[in-house]
Amino acid sequence: MNRPRTASTREDPVDQHVPTAAAASTATLPDLSGILGDAEPVIRAIDIVKRWGTTTALDGATFDVLPGITGLLGPNGAGKTTLLGMILGLHRPTSGSFEVLGLDPTLAGPAIRAKVGYSPELHTLPDDMRAHDLVRHIAEIHGLPRREATARASDVLWQVGLGEERFRPIGTMSTGQRQRVKLAQAIAHDPALVLLDEPTDGLDPVQRDDMLALIRRIGTEFGISVLLSSHLLEEVERICDFAVIVGDRRIVADGRLRDLTRRTEGVVVEVADGQPELILALRAQGASIELDGQRIVVRAPPSAPEDRPRGEDDDDLLADLIRDALVESGAGLRRMAPVRVTLEEVYMEAGS
Amino acid sequence: MNPHDPIAVGSAARSSGEARILDRGYRRYDGPQRGARGAVRTLAIQTAQRALGLRRSFWSKVFPLLAVFIAYVPAIVFVGVTVLVNDLPNGQRLLDDAELLPPFGAYYGFIWAAILVFVAFVAPEVLCTDRRNGMLGLYLASPLNRNTYLLAKALSVTGILALVTVGPPALYLVGLTLNDRGPDGFAGFLGILFKVLIAGIAVAALQVALSFAVAATTTRRAAASASIILILLASATLSNTLVQGAGLDSNLLVFDLLFLPFELVFRIFGEGHVDRMWRQVPTSTVVGAYLVWTFGFAFFVWFRYRRLQVTR
Repeated sequence: MNRPRTASTREDPVDQHVPTAAAASTATLPDLSGILGDAEPVIRAIDIVKRWGTTTALDGATFDVLPGITGLLGPNGAGKTTLLGMILGLHRPTSGSFEVLGLDPTLAGPAIRAKVGYSPELHTLPDDMRAHDLVRHIAEIHGLPRREATARASDVLWQVGLGEERFRPIGTMSTGQRQRVKLAQAIAHDPALVLLDEPTDGLDPVQRDDMLALIRRIGTEFGISVLLSSHLLEEVERICDFAVIVGDRRIVADGRLRDLTRRTEGVVVEVADGQPELILALRAQGASIELDGQRIVVRAPPSAPEDRPRGEDDDDLLADLIRDALVESGAGLRRMAPVRVTLEEVYMEAGS
Repeated sequence: MNPHDPIAVGSAARSSGEARILDRGYRRYDGPQRGARGAVRTLAIQTAQRALGLRRSFWSKVFPLLAVFIAYVPAIVFVGVTVLVNDLPNGQRLLDDAELLPPFGAYYGFIWAAILVFVAFVAPEVLCTDRRNGMLGLYLASPLNRNTYLLAKALSVTGILALVTVGPPALYLVGLTLNDRGPDGFAGFLGILFKVLIAGIAVAALQVALSFAVAATTTRRAAASASIILILLASATLSNTLVQGAGLDSNLLVFDLLFLPFELVFRIFGEGHVDRMWRQVPTSTVVGAYLVWTFGFAFFVWFRYRRLQVTR
């Protein structure tokens, strides 16, 4: 499978490669979902059912994971880890079929796992092993010759910000550093896809921001597709291009994040002055108003399609309505933006 | 920048002292990959290194190397004695070899304790630790699967156990041969060497299967080690009590997991066991029981690992 790769051309000093909280801001990050949206899926699940004895862990899960960064969201116990196990070919689905990197995990598990990196949820690693030894060993296990594994172990430990610490025993490392070691071992063999199970678990807010920025780099700069399993919606919203939401043993929503967090009928308006006049003008035009401090959430009055001017939709009508009200009231517009639902709202709505 | 420009050269020279690595970059890897076979080999070597304490702290090395050394001491002593007790000028010997040197099967009687202790500590180290520290999950997310993982571990432990089950008798054989007390002719030497190999691997295989079975039930190394020793000693005590104390059928001795493999060694070398009760057990029963125990324990380990939850 062809992977979108970006040659590393940054000219930052090495120490600046240690991601910072500021770098984690999605405002500066490219949205790849539009570019990658039409690509072949790295994972395709069709009607997956998984039962453990009499317990049904997944019931008819169907979704695609496209190249890029995908969040696998769901509450604890929703079946995320079971899904990861099936993607790796460690568990067979009771029924349904998987395709990972174009291969069937139940038939080609070892071949798939050679091209996939995995960072488990637990922080436990061999305490008396040096980080470099562990990363090199896992790279060798994934098939790299020893010399190449040694070189790449050093390289990826630099990339995750542990260049100076790479020969320290893991037992002497903090939780944040251990998480980076887990990430390094997952990408050392240059996988096409990396599965990260709760990679920010146990991290403080600063470490968490750094880790998210690092994961974003892996998905963009390194060109490795990432499936990030998390129960934290905010993490997925910040760095993912796509999301698959698992809840109540089924896939409750999946797709591009920007599609999931779609516009609603509302628009948020903030004005510098003349707020009461604007509210009166909006109400006079039949708009629904909701006050949230200085923000006015405006929703258009219901209209039949035949009442709309040709070529305009509800959003256009609402924008026209607000424009007219602003002119009529003389209020000074400061900000106007469409109301977007959060991923949490999508999740709650789909799960209800 | 023009390199002939004195200003440009000067500024470059000034900045060279502050040179920094700008970017190591992320490199793609398109080279060969060794697949599952390479993974088994890598894991087996790494397991052996860790079990022997290599690339680990000093204290991790002490115990395994001491156990290996103790297993070799009798061979060194016996060979040393043959060197010191020279033949008389008339070709006669001061002591009869039969009085001085134990037969090959009986050699294991001198090292069974070292083997027991070695196996009790090595198997838990290589199996329990992987489950406890999460390495099992990382291994099974690689080209390895449960079967190849267990194969790599078994090969590794059997290999390092052969250091104490094959190495000392082989050294004993070579020492005796060099002192003209070995088997007759090259064919005789090869015949005994083959038996040494078979016997050593046979002892190692049952011990590894048993210790893996125990180690598969717990993540606590100390508990597994203690359990292995307890099971071996208890099985020996119980079966001997039933046969010799209660006068039950001598075939019940095959429940003696401690001495069953050593009894098989006696049969391989064609030597009679010093114990009268063991002599009453047919060789077919000894071999059959050995196979049932070995494959039974191996099946138990495979079964335990088959549905182990590892993606955590």
